[in-house]
Amino acid sequence: MHNRRNFLKSSALAAGAFTLPTSLSVLAAGSTARVGPRRFVFIRKSNGIRPNELALPTFTDEEKSLDAKKQPMEVDLDKHELPEWLRPIDPYKANLSILQGLSCKMSENGHWSYSSVMGAYKSGRNSLSGIKRATIDFELAKLSPSPFEHVELSLTGSYSTFRTGIVSGYSAPGPHQRNYCYADPQTAYNELFKSVINPGAVDSDNAMLEFLQSEEVFKSEKLLGYEKLKLSNHISSIEAIRARNKKLEKMSDSIARHIPELNPIHAEGGPNASTPEKQKAMTDILVAALVTGLTNVVTYTIDELSTPIKGIKGNEGDHISIHELGHNGGYSGVSAEKIREKIRVGHMEQVATIVERLKATPEGKGSMFDNTVVMYFPENGEGHHSKGTEAPFVVLSGDNCKLDMAGRYIRLPHHATEGHKTIGNWYTTLLNAYGNPIEHYGDFDLEMARKKLDQLGSIKQLMA
Amino acid sequence: MINLQRMIKRPVFTVGSLFSITIMMVLPCHADKAAQPAPFQLPKGMEKLLYENCYACHDEWEQEGDIRLDQLATLEPDTRLDLFNKVQEQIYFGQMPPKKEKIQPTDAERTTMLEWFSAELKKHNASKLEDKKRMPEYANYVDHGKLFSGEYKHLKAFTPDRRWLISEFIFDAKFNRILDHRPMKTIDGQRRGVIGDNGRRANLTNPFLLPTNTGVRYYANATLNGGHLLTMLTNAKNAAVYMTDDLAKRDNSYLPSFNAIVAEEDRHRHILASREEFLSHFIEPVLVDLYKEKHNALLPQFKSVAEEAPAVRGVGKTKKAGFASANPGRTEMEIVFRSMRKHQKHCKTDEELIRKCEQDWFYFGHNLRKTQARVTFLQGYMEEWRDEIKTHKWDQRYKPRIYRSLDQAEMKVIADTIIKFRKKGDRYQTIIDQCMAHWAQKFEQERAAADPLDDALVASLVSQVFIKIHERVPTDEEAGKYLHLTKSYIKSLGNRAAVQKLIQTLILRSDFVYRAEFGQGVADDHGRHRLSPRDASYALAYAITDSSPDQELVKAVKEGRLNTREDYKRQIMRMLKKRDQYYVIDEGVQRLHHTASITNLPIRKLRFFREFFGYPKMLPIFKDNKRFGGNYDMAKGRLVGEADRLVEHILNKDKEVIETLLNTEDFFVFHSGDNKAMKASSERIRRIYEYFKDMDWQNFTVEDLAKHKEFLGEVKMRGIDVKSLVKKGRRDPARSFKTAMASFSLRFDKGESAAAPYVSFPAHGPYNASTRMGMQLRAPEVAKFFNIKLDDWNYPAAQPAKMIHRKGILTHPAWLIAHAQNTETDPVVRGKWVLEKLLAGTVPDTPITVEAVVPEDHHNTMRTRLAKVTEKKYCWTCHERMNPLGYPFEMYDDFGRYRKLESLEHPDNLLKKGPNKGAAHVDLRDIYKTLPVDSKGRLFGTGDKKLDGEVGNAIELADRLSRSSRVRQSVVRHAFRYFMGRNEFVSDSKTLIDADKAYLESGGSFDALIVSLLTSDSFIYRKPSGTSEH
Repeated sequence: MHNRRNFLKSSALAAGAFTLPTSLSVLAAGSTARVGPRRFVFIRKSNGIRPNELALPTFTDEEKSLDAKKQPMEVDLDKHELPEWLRPIDPYKANLSILQGLSCKMSENGHWSYSSVMGAYKSGRNSLSGIKRATIDFELAKLSPSPFEHVELSLTGSYSTFRTGIVSGYSAPGPHQRNYCYADPQTAYNELFKSVINPGAVDSDNAMLEFLQSEEVFKSEKLLGYEKLKLSNHISSIEAIRARNKKLEKMSDSIARHIPELNPIHAEGGPNASTPEKQKAMTDILVAALVTGLTNVVTYTIDELSTPIKGIKGNEGDHISIHELGHNGGYSGVSAEKIREKIRVGHMEQVATIVERLKATPEGKGSMFDNTVVMYFPENGEGHHSKGTEAPFVVLSGDNCKLDMAGRYIRLPHHATEGHKTIGNWYTTLLNAYGNPIEHYGDFDLEMARKKLDQLGSIKQLMA
Repeated sequence: MINLQRMIKRPVFTVGSLFSITIMMVLPCHADKAAQPAPFQLPKGMEKLLYENCYACHDEWEQEGDIRLDQLATLEPDTRLDLFNKVQEQIYFGQMPPKKEKIQPTDAERTTMLEWFSAELKKHNASKLEDKKRMPEYANYVDHGKLFSGEYKHLKAFTPDRRWLISEFIFDAKFNRILDHRPMKTIDGQRRGVIGDNGRRANLTNPFLLPTNTGVRYYANATLNGGHLLTMLTNAKNAAVYMTDDLAKRDNSYLPSFNAIVAEEDRHRHILASREEFLSHFIEPVLVDLYKEKHNALLPQFKSVAEEAPAVRGVGKTKKAGFASANPGRTEMEIVFRSMRKHQKHCKTDEELIRKCEQDWFYFGHNLRKTQARVTFLQGYMEEWRDEIKTHKWDQRYKPRIYRSLDQAEMKVIADTIIKFRKKGDRYQTIIDQCMAHWAQKFEQERAAADPLDDALVASLVSQVFIKIHERVPTDEEAGKYLHLTKSYIKSLGNRAAVQKLIQTLILRSDFVYRAEFGQGVADDHGRHRLSPRDASYALAYAITDSSPDQELVKAVKEGRLNTREDYKRQIMRMLKKRDQYYVIDEGVQRLHHTASITNLPIRKLRFFREFFGYPKMLPIFKDNKRFGGNYDMAKGRLVGEADRLVEHILNKDKEVIETLLNTEDFFVFHSGDNKAMKASSERIRRIYEYFKDMDWQNFTVEDLAKHKEFLGEVKMRGIDVKSLVKKGRRDPARSFKTAMASFSLRFDKGESAAAPYVSFPAHGPYNASTRMGMQLRAPEVAKFFNIKLDDWNYPAAQPAKMIHRKGILTHPAWLIAHAQNTETDPVVRGKWVLEKLLAGTVPDTPITVEAVVPEDHHNTMRTRLAKVTEKKYCWTCHERMNPLGYPFEMYDDFGRYRKLESLEHPDNLLKKGPNKGAAHVDLRDIYKTLPVDSKGRLFGTGDKKLDGEVGNAIELADRLSRSSRVRQSVVRHAFRYFMGRNEFVSDSKTLIDADKAYLESGGSFDALIVSLLTSDSFIYRKPSGTSEH
């Protein structure tokens, strides 16, 4: 249990870090990390995951009954088969955890959750003032600094077309702040690997910063006291960004080695690219961003209700609306249920690729995956019109993961019963395990509070 | 459990001050190493003073708060300096020795100790006190008596020369101005421009967020940090692209020099675009014309998608997705429609038609997947598609394209290029792509060979961008530097990207993110300079609005009419009286269930009280619908919006503003702010009820409704279209009618004289009361905060109207929720607010050793539980300043509802489960055991014996507070901080006394108070930063 004194200490550290973004300050000082960086990948999907979709087909009758009744239980995955749609990650069963029974009622539910599912608050229909705190991915990024600190990717759209360019994201770097994200593979590629594919643009950025720095230094020479300090801060902020750019330049060899090949279909936002083609390209970019060390935390909205689904196997000609699937509408005679499953299979293929590639990349005595946690979860809990009483997570974690959950199907006590855990507890677990001693992350569940049930802190059974 | 740590808010260290503290702490370490200082020795005199005043609690026998002062020499230098900082603060803020101690140092001894510790810290450049004194949390430590006694009136006030980091609001206003974002909204039925609606097309992130505390939030202390700059870097890039590629293209006067610089490039782009458009529409006739009978032989071999990628059809019965969810999107449908129109006359069957269309798309070279999607769509939805074409008149919307050739020269270029590139088997798109690439390369070569840009043109660009971003022309020096810089950008990046880079550079300058407030001209006898007229114009504009100076102010500066106090006064009064500009008060509130969060008051005037009272802080507090007994999430936006409306109403009257805010008994509850409209809406409901009440309406059919067509057409009811009184699908006018009548009867049958204007079921529709922005007035549950039962409420259409058990904003549910916890009240936070905001009082930081939580005990009230932990001797020293001021609010629960009994919400105390669902008037709460509420408290510190003393409840407390001079002066002090962006010094005494006097003499006009503050020496006069402050 963390007492108030060290809680304040950690808060002060967090406040200090805000003065200069962690990544910048660490980079400016030169990283001295002794172990490989910790990596986190958050993959958000829309339309919910219905808890029974994760139930293991080989459950015993007793297990089946417990699971159906939402009673706490735990089984080893190696003794069971995975549901059909999880088969692409079957080779990684030892790294897999299926975490059931979490709730997310304190975040937005219904069709969308926006940033709230990763911040454990109500976002007031995505209003800026509703963003209450930095989302969990940004909190973890502070613990694992990198040049980009955090990268957000999304494949969303307006039902008929995909969004492209740099657009508003779903994560939040801090209260009342909305992150931006790369909405198509080409944009993500251009922005992330700029130092290699467009060194001229980086040079001109540096020239601009150098000019600005000299200008501010000149102005500050005429000032005294606190006013001088203000400009000194401005100057040191410019210096820090220049230091980051230098670091990026130094990384250009590594970036060049790992830069993915992008299919020309993604040019100009990729209007002709199918959904699986876009997903594949995003996976390539996501993996490259991690492998090159540009970032250690990626949040990827693999789909949202407005993401057009085009070109999926068996329904190649259909223009599928995820929203319509939620209302049970089928396409070309294929039922909504089946298409939902096909979409999930497509997602799992991408997850499997991420794991496979990271496992194939050596780091220390093992592979990059050893230091990685990949989380696949619904943005809005248990269904298309979710209530948030269940928020399943599919987690793949490497051998150095600080959580004790790999290889297990875990069902926690159901919502608003003794021992129940919320996404707030889950995120607290991640933070505590990786170095932030925060007492509790996120808002509390009000029904738990009404019933006077304890809901503070991490999920002890998952702490290694 | 309540965590006291949250209740007693620790001071918020601003980002800037943390940074400076860090620097100061680092510096002495280096200095020490270099200079090898002599061993520390405590002077004898100091040792004596510490012995007499401190050792009793901080020596080897006792270490209160883990502090020991009797062995300073043994400490590491950094540890010692850290300790000295703590001691310095305790003495400066008068917190040590504790007031309860009988032995106290004399004033002289206290000064001696303070001076010695300060000198020691100064020696090592390690004092943190100066930073603390700048923070808003420490403003009340400047003695109230000194400020208002008149004893220091002679001191000459000034504000240090300064840069003031822009606020989140100024950031938005600046970019909205630069990016020509001028949103319009319908307000009171008219289209009006609004400020504060920030839905810009360019994607920007606001990094200049203000802290979320109540009270004054925007101070000139903050400094820019790495996070700000990194975000601004991305903002600058996005803004630059939008300015050049969108705004400048749409409007040539936006950046004319940019358009001149890229004129040749634009000309080429235009030609390319025109050729591409021509070819994409008419390549087929062009090719036929060029190749005649050979054309067909050059075409590729057609292959249908069914051959290339056969679609797998599902089996079995399944619900088919609706047309809207299955069509491939508007652009695709237009392509499909045009192809269908071209071929349908010649095709006998749908299969033939689809094949013909597909053939077109194949020859053109459309993406296979897209073609496949079109074919799948046509095969699955032909009937619905034809219906859509007919219903929505696609024929008229998408007229056929008539072939018109381009001019002769262009046609020749096109023909020559096509002949050069076309090969057998090429699809049309391949030919177009090759031609386009060829022309683009040729144009690029032409531009590269052209003469370099004229310096005068680049200089004029620099000037225009400067004006656009910084609202001024560059100085000669700047003009020279930026000309040189822009030319270097042009050389390395090309014209368009160079201009974008110039824009980025100017946005990233410190004077974009900082407001400048510097004195200018000859100093007066006291070393003070007047604000420069330009800086003054910004200071005044930003004091009253978020926008830069309006035309009148700019003109006044230009014509030398912003120099004297009278000049200032004229401009301030003009701005304060302005009512032709509307502002969005809070975008968050606006978004919550269509609440019209708008005002035409100068926004910063309203925002002062909004932030001072801090009631919007209730928005992020997450509350349980069940405990509320209705839909809390629906109602919270309305509650804050109506608190805003009340403040606006009082400010509009501008009479006894502070007193009225504290003692008004009139409130807005479920009201748009338009009395006439609310009256009409309420009366309409009554009219409908009266008309039908004696009929057998419960058994009405649509035929029965038809008999009352005329009346229904006149009153209009949701879901009843008199032109079509038939049941169709889910639409059943009779059902809608009965639902509405049931709701109306529920209210009037009990004898209500007027009904609240809400419909019986939430839905879109025009036939209900509207907000001032024309949206449906929603969330009648807001009445529940005021203990109003919706089925038993004589709705007052004229508001604000008297609400029982309420007096002033401190009894408004929004304020009460904002100063409560998620599930319980918070007497400490409420009391602390009253102490600090209204009584100019102080309470020390929570000691680090305190880990206080209110114990869980479901057999006792919150007050009893709180008293158990806070009324212990050690805690009571501080809590006695807060709890007695917070206890009176126990007459309200954490939703701000009046109560006599406190519900002991615990499963063990549950008496009756409430329903889980119900209409707006139904109370969904569970019923628990209760205990009587004790709302007795005590007011102290007003300096007025008639007011200080026991109070029975919050109504009594609010009444006394509203009559206190100390309270009024405390509000004046906060207004000073808000408009000056800093804490008051003793030398601001005259400014404060004058402002208070102006308020009193004007009958309580807040405008008069603002005028007084903004024409004071504190505002007008500046001294170089670093000058010692009084």
